[in-house]
Amino acid sequence: MIQDGEHYFCCNGCQGVFHLLSDSGLDGFYQKSAGVQLTPPTQQYEDSSNFNSPAFYDKFVTKNKDAFSEVSLIIEGIHCSACVWLNEKALHKMDGVVEASINFTNNKAHIIWVDDVVKLSEIIDMIRAIGYNAYPYDASLQELHANKVRKEYYLRMAVAIFASMNVMWIAVAQYAGYFTGITQEMKTILNIAEGVLATPVLFYSGWVFFRGAYYGMRNRVVNMDLLVATGALLTYVYSIYITVLEHGEAYFDSVSMIITFVLIGKFLEVLSKKNAADTLDVIGKHLPNEVNIVKEGQIVVCKLQDVTVGERVLVSSGEKVLLDGVILKGEGSFDESSLTGESEPIFKKIGDKVISGTTSIDADIEFEATKDFEHSTLSNLVMLLESAINKKPKIELLANRLSEHFSTTILVLAFMTFAVWWAWPHSFETALMVGISVIVIACPCALGLATPVATLVGLSLGAKRGILFKEAAQLETMAKADVLLLDKTGTLTEGKPTVSTENKFQEFEYTLLYSLVKQSKHPVAKGIAKYIEKSVETLSLYALDSFSQISARGMEANYNGVMLLGGNAKFMHERGVEIGQSSSNTNFYYAINGELVALYELHDAIKPGAQELVKILRDKAIDVVMLTGDNIASAQSIAKEVGIEKVYAELTPEEKLAYVESLHKDTKVVVMVGDGVNDILALAKADIGIVMGSGSDIAVEISDVVLLNDSLHSLLGAFQIARTTFTLIKQNFAISLVYNAITIPLAMAGLVIPLVAALSMSFSSLLVVGNSMRIRYKWNRS
Amino acid sequence: MDNMIVAMMLGASLFLGAVALIAFLWAIKTGQFDDEEKFLNAVKFDNVEDLNDAIAQEKKREELKKKNYKPE
Repeated sequence: MIQDGEHYFCCNGCQGVFHLLSDSGLDGFYQKSAGVQLTPPTQQYEDSSNFNSPAFYDKFVTKNKDAFSEVSLIIEGIHCSACVWLNEKALHKMDGVVEASINFTNNKAHIIWVDDVVKLSEIIDMIRAIGYNAYPYDASLQELHANKVRKEYYLRMAVAIFASMNVMWIAVAQYAGYFTGITQEMKTILNIAEGVLATPVLFYSGWVFFRGAYYGMRNRVVNMDLLVATGALLTYVYSIYITVLEHGEAYFDSVSMIITFVLIGKFLEVLSKKNAADTLDVIGKHLPNEVNIVKEGQIVVCKLQDVTVGERVLVSSGEKVLLDGVILKGEGSFDESSLTGESEPIFKKIGDKVISGTTSIDADIEFEATKDFEHSTLSNLVMLLESAINKKPKIELLANRLSEHFSTTILVLAFMTFAVWWAWPHSFETALMVGISVIVIACPCALGLATPVATLVGLSLGAKRGILFKEAAQLETMAKADVLLLDKTGTLTEGKPTVSTENKFQEFEYTLLYSLVKQSKHPVAKGIAKYIEKSVETLSLYALDSFSQISARGMEANYNGVMLLGGNAKFMHERGVEIGQSSSNTNFYYAINGELVALYELHDAIKPGAQELVKILRDKAIDVVMLTGDNIASAQSIAKEVGIEKVYAELTPEEKLAYVESLHKDTKVVVMVGDGVNDILALAKADIGIVMGSGSDIAVEISDVVLLNDSLHSLLGAFQIARTTFTLIKQNFAISLVYNAITIPLAMAGLVIPLVAALSMSFSSLLVVGNSMRIRYKWNRS
Repeated sequence: MDNMIVAMMLGASLFLGAVALIAFLWAIKTGQFDDEEKFLNAVKFDNVEDLNDAIAQEKKREELKKKNYKPE
């Protein structure tokens, strides 16, 4: 605790931020954020001057029409509205910043500034100085487009709902008049008012249907849009005709109601569509676009794309390798989990190949590029990923198939009705009126709402259980799944080794072992630390001397002249420690002064519910297959335990992708569950990619479904929700079709009066909504 | 006569409704509802100081615009 005047701080970081804020008169922040636990600012950031490089500006900064620079940033660390206030105020106080607006909901910031006065790096430094972090993202065209579409729908719906509600009030007067008598003048006045209201609904709000019908016609498809557009337009024209001739009933209320109902259905669909834009952003974020190269004895920064074969590239520890090559200088271990899924670091020395996409853990190396960026493993991977996302098979949705037949049938029936009525002596007017009533009564309101309402119920059921479906259509796809592919580590198993048996050969001090394993971040060491924490009550940490970690071996340290060794069998052999028999499990040996004192056997525990999941899905005729990058022996033993028969082990990410493709060739609907970067290609290509919430960022981004609590119970839940929803969709269609089967003959016989038409339209929509809600209550109770 | 009254009332109320609708559409278009959280929290920060800051920022923006103007 640091005391500073009357204030107390937990660390220097918080103190620094406090002084910075009070110096610039922004200490109102603390009042505004009262009651919120603030996280201390973190200090280690990469050099901000990178943000001023031309390569960076090329990629992220745009110039607007006033010659101001603009950038989109994602701000990390925003957890309350006071944070938004603080960031905006702090940025506004900077010279040269024209505008900074931060969206609290998605933490995205849009900043406009004058580049001559202030540089982007200074802006980012300011954000960091007050305890947040910012990184840029490419506000790609797709995202802008998605937002624009959404806004457009808001506008159209606002108009439609406003007008429809008012039309309904006027319609009440009309209906009252229909039964109790009304003068023709009054009727005309009401008709005109309705007509005025219905006009913007039809031509502004209903524009999407005309557009959809037009594109449908061009592709020679009769779609729902065409039915809605013709129905509404004919009704509208007919109603104007009635109003002018001053006899008969106008149907303006039907016009605005059809458009409004179906527009709401369409909007719900748009709302639940996945935003593909964000996916590509994240891939971009993980790819720096500059490397350090050695030219004539000097280190220069070079654009990634400009590096040619044979140039010498520098990589320091913690950095990502961006090009393929052969090491010339230096050695160290690399994390290749993004390519192989293997979590063990791999040690590389001079003459070994480095692969792009891997990360250096502790190696500072200089290597010769053997391929340029375009042909590197990494850009191949990105290209494969992009094509997998774009070429994901689309299963034709039930609604689309159905609506085409439905629309054609109704239009033909309406025309026939009109022809028959006209031919068997009735006036043109009566015949037209009956024909139109067929279209109005067959109003696809219920049909248009059937899918969106059901999927919305499904999505919210999932969300409550920690299952996030990113797109509504995925529910239907998932309900049709034939094959489930499971990754092993992190999906079926916990992904963290835990101690299963402890063999003590001598008594020893736990605190010492604890201090040793706490130094390492290796999963085995973490597993042992956890085990000790559980079995021993009081623990403290000793300061160890000369700790060193030998990758793929173990670790050693000194404490008061005692030599501590911990690691695998190989390590013990090398150090001349006698260990006796070694088993196939993951073992951790602990030796003091060259003498073995303890042996821990670890294994990766299977998540609860795995057996149940496999059994239930098997009963539902879903094929369960395990795909893993791990060796065949450990894959087999896990598979046996959970009851999976088909196992494919030692697969590269490309092989996993190829397997998914081969299933697609057999027209199978594939669900892939994974968590790591090595699964992303298969996840992207599968019909449904499901990712554990704790999985890597990219995997979560490209997936279709995220299981927030990582449990296999929610995976099962996801299947059940998908199936329930699909049943619901089918029921809703059945309801609206049965309804139409009853009402259309009545309309064709000319027995439908306007009131009945309007009421039954609302009634069928209510039935569909009510049916969807029923499932929701059923699920919530269980 | 009665008809005229009904017509006038209809006209007047629809006109008023339309004005409100247009204001609402304008608010959507200018992005006032884009961030629902901020929009709901805005009332908390609605004090004299913040209003003054907003005006100052507006002025600064205009100035920068003038200064930054570069004839092609």
